Amino acid sequence: MLTEAKNQFKVTFLSIKYAFIRELLNKVTFVTNIVFMMLNNASFLVQWLLLFSLKDNVGNYSFNQVLILWAMASSSYGISHFFFKKAYYLPDDINNGKLDAYLVQPKNVLIASITSDIEVSALGDMLYGLIVFLIVEHNILSILLYIFFSIASSFIITSIAIILGSLSFWIGKSDQIADTINNLMISFATYPDGIFKGVVKVILYTIIPVGIANYIPVSVLTKFNFGLTSVVILFTIFITLLAFIIFYKGLKRYSSSNLMASRI
Amino acid sequence: MKKYLYIFKSELMSNLQYIKNILFNFVGYIIHIFIFLSIWKWVYSDPKEIINGYTLNQMIWYVIITELIWSVISGRKLCKKISNDVKGGNIAYNINKPYSYIGYALSNSLGDSFIKGIVYSILALILGFLFLGSFPNLNIISILLILLIFTISVIINILMIIMIGLFSFIIEDSSPIYWLYSKVLLIVGVVFPIEFFPKAIQPILNYSPIYVLSYGPAKMFVKFNLFESLKILGIQAIYLFIVYFICSLIYKKGVKRLNVNGG
Repeated sequence: MLTEAKNQFKVTFLSIKYAFIRELLNKVTFVTNIVFMMLNNASFLVQWLLLFSLKDNVGNYSFNQVLILWAMASSSYGISHFFFKKAYYLPDDINNGKLDAYLVQPKNVLIASITSDIEVSALGDMLYGLIVFLIVEHNILSILLYIFFSIASSFIITSIAIILGSLSFWIGKSDQIADTINNLMISFATYPDGIFKGVVKVILYTIIPVGIANYIPVSVLTKFNFGLTSVVILFTIFITLLAFIIFYKGLKRYSSSNLMASRI
Repeated sequence: MKKYLYIFKSELMSNLQYIKNILFNFVGYIIHIFIFLSIWKWVYSDPKEIINGYTLNQMIWYVIITELIWSVISGRKLCKKISNDVKGGNIAYNINKPYSYIGYALSNSLGDSFIKGIVYSILALILGFLFLGSFPNLNIISILLILLIFTISVIINILMIIMIGLFSFIIEDSSPIYWLYSKVLLIVGVVFPIEFFPKAIQPILNYSPIYVLSYGPAKMFVKFNLFESLKILGIQAIYLFIVYFICSLIYKKGVKRLNVNGG
């Protein structure tokens, strides 16, 4: 079991490493992708500076808390899109028979398929998140907690993407539903939960769990709470397992296609 | 001109087949408007409060219109397509065709935006009415002028994106420039009217693309003024000429250094 996990980890590492080397072939594009993504994220500071010039707090968040929210959102999005980019392309892989290549490998199909490519610009998201967090917090424990929450949050959003992508096993083209909900999660993740009320707030902590992936970590990073930290850990384990179960249940229905392609 | 109308018509007909997709994508638009509505409701503690000359209702209508102008264009797709045409060498096939590549990309994108523009506009007006319970006071002349300003702003925006896509002749992948452009436009042009920015930078913004792309059309919808609408149309004409000229220049210079290997 342990050797199997070790081998899986090694293969995943190599897959990401080679994808990284491939991207490094064009250094100008590589650097511009990262730098522009950071600038892209930084441009939102203007919006928050203007909003805080009108009001002392937005949704009961101080300016520093909004920065932590952004740090969380961009680093978790960055980790998810860098390491698990293909989780967002599952409908295409399922509908066009592209999973065949992973089915013949003696490794986990889901992990092999979602880690088969990287999104270079997501490195810019990760770096931006870390820099913004370091501007607000210098405490080493807070930094470690931030890294932990970023990884947990990235697992949550990746799992949601896998679940939504796996719908293609049953309903054919689920890419539009998946894209809409994935984008919706990012939109909500960058705004304080205090501005939302009633049903929307309930949805944000249940159906679209941005609350658990982002809002709770921001609250814990502001004031540590063991109970809330446990909620994030338990939910991450639950949603990750659920993603695996749904994907493998769907995989039984997978019927490939007549696509002929070469993988270089 | 006839050939561009034909390209426009074929793209329009093709989009009519995907009307369900257009309706589904509107969900994203509703969510954005809902988020902005929540933000502005928080900022405006009293709905009758006036901040920088705008009431809460005017602010929401402003965002509905600016977001509408932005949403009717599939900007990311357009930029990616042009970038791929340049990178992949497909642009070479257009060199010997009896039309200009910029004209082709513009009419093609307009065909895509036309149906979306009509469907989104109707739904956005219904959405605004459901959220706010009233429409701004407009007469038939103001509606026609706003529609004209709205259409020209969409054309300028498409040309700006074509221009960014053509930057691929220089930096291979121009998508990062597009991300930055879309975010700057979103923040500076969609969420806040120019009056919300520091006084020192307002004159700059008044002559920037933001003025003709989003602020102008949205402000005319919220607070119509005949003189200002004519001024916006004048500045739009200048922008239209400048952006088209820059696009042609980049294309001409880019095509000269084009090097396509194989096919």
